[in-house]
Amino acid sequence: MYTLRKKCGSIGKHGLLVLLSLLAVFPLYWMVVSSFKNQGEIFGTAFWPAAPTLENYTYAFEQMPISRMLLNSFIIAIAMTALQLLTSILAAYALTRWQFKGRGILYTMLTLTWLIPAQATMIPNYIQVNEWGLQGNPLAIVLPFAASAFAVISMYQGFNQFPRALIDAARLDGAGEWQILTRVVLPPMKATISSLGILLFINSWNEYLWPMLVTKKLESAPIQIGIKSFVSSDVNMWGSLMAATTISCLPILIIYIILQRHIVDSFMKWGIK
Amino acid sequence: MKTAAMTAPPGAVSHKKISLAKLKPYLFMLPAVALIGFWVYKPLCQTLGLAGYKWSMVPGTTPEFVGLQNFTKLFSNKDFWPAVKNTLFYTLGLLPFSIVLPLFIAAATQTVRGRAQKVYRALFFVPMIMAPVAVSVIFQWLLHPTNGLVNKLLIDLGIIEQGIAFFSNETFSRLMILLITGWKMIGFSTLMFSAAISGVNREYYESAKLDGASNIRQFFTITLPLLSPTVMLMVMMSVLFASQWTFAYIDVLSQGGPYGSSTNIYYMMYKFGFSDMNVGLSAAAAALFFIVFGLIALVMMRLSKKYAFYDN
Repeated sequence: MYTLRKKCGSIGKHGLLVLLSLLAVFPLYWMVVSSFKNQGEIFGTAFWPAAPTLENYTYAFEQMPISRMLLNSFIIAIAMTALQLLTSILAAYALTRWQFKGRGILYTMLTLTWLIPAQATMIPNYIQVNEWGLQGNPLAIVLPFAASAFAVISMYQGFNQFPRALIDAARLDGAGEWQILTRVVLPPMKATISSLGILLFINSWNEYLWPMLVTKKLESAPIQIGIKSFVSSDVNMWGSLMAATTISCLPILIIYIILQRHIVDSFMKWGIK
Repeated sequence: MKTAAMTAPPGAVSHKKISLAKLKPYLFMLPAVALIGFWVYKPLCQTLGLAGYKWSMVPGTTPEFVGLQNFTKLFSNKDFWPAVKNTLFYTLGLLPFSIVLPLFIAAATQTVRGRAQKVYRALFFVPMIMAPVAVSVIFQWLLHPTNGLVNKLLIDLGIIEQGIAFFSNETFSRLMILLITGWKMIGFSTLMFSAAISGVNREYYESAKLDGASNIRQFFTITLPLLSPTVMLMVMMSVLFASQWTFAYIDVLSQGGPYGSSTNIYYMMYKFGFSDMNVGLSAAAAALFFIVFGLIALVMMRLSKKYAFYDN
């Protein structure tokens, strides 16, 4: 009796989890399946394309500068990630290494940024990049994201686990700050830094509001903005829209498939923006 | 450095050395702090200032000072109260998806471990990493009035006779946007709670079981109190960010419509600023809600300090 109840409980648990997993993945699955359906099939409810085709992909590439926009997205996301890593490594090092005057205030200033929504800064920033004549330039997208408080705080939490004794030993050996940072602190922190880097890359790749405000032409737009404009212009080409969307998700999905465990762990460790 | 110290007067060098050493932390902090100051705090102050001006962002024109007029105009704006109401709707409506259901699922499945758990984890997490634009487009397709899978299945099952145009329907528009946001959150929250539960000392459950406590009783007397710090953190995140997360879905799927039925305060600020070109009104709304959400965060932080239970 007891084991039977236990077994039923176990089936129930797995049933619940399987249902939730299906719910989580189904939209993604439907996107991919739709992107391979031909014009006759796209409006049907079949869960598998009877005659898979690539015509949606070729059409999407013909209609939109997809490769160009992918390249833009890569350049922008890599630049943002690199700059955020650099600025946060320097700041996290200072926070870990020294107890200096104003440290508390600076740290509070960093943590309070999560109360400031993008909508409270978008207009002055928009005016600023226009004043500099950067409208339509990828720099306009990257610059406001060159440093992120989220990155600094997460990096600092990572550095905090670093044994102080090693820093002190290096300092006694007469090593300069730069040497301590690059030779002593960074090598063992590689895993932390790269997992934070992946998280920052995903966030940058997915960024929407700010890139939308400052891009003018599709040729200089990141892929997210391109997809959005495709939605509003060509509403009935669902197959190719799904193809374009699949392509826009591909880099993130590939990274996720390869580094799945690390990504889940780092999201759970540092939370979300 | 050492040779210089020998030739120069000793007092001056040590003074210089000390001041340089004192500057070091600030030099390392400088890039991050300067950039965040320039791109977050400076514009925030400018926005607070612009709330007192009337301006259309047209180059060559100067903002005109109007005092508190923007605030009175904001309160009488036809979009304002619906946006506030919807913000409440999104904020409260997300809580079941970010707190209640995940807590329940995490507690109910706490004995699932090992390989199976890893597979579920990987799948649960997929919505979280997807771009909001991609998510919007996929749901727009799934929920398409005539050709979407959802409508077709509902018709096949005989639940409805005609496809529903979800995003041009005043009842469904905001509900669908909430469900999409919930879909994105639920897996992540479940994982956060699962991780917290796995950190709870198993002995508590074992002694509770010996005392004959039911699963439900165990949940309320052991799991919930021990998870309270995580729960408070997630509640805070959910409340502060719910409306910001809906932004992209609103923009792609409904543009706040029909008739403002799915807009929220953040989308309203964007509309005021970039479609109506009314900078002052947008800034006034931003200032107002910056303060409102600041106060909410403060109250929640207090509550969390008072009520969160820590197991030592």
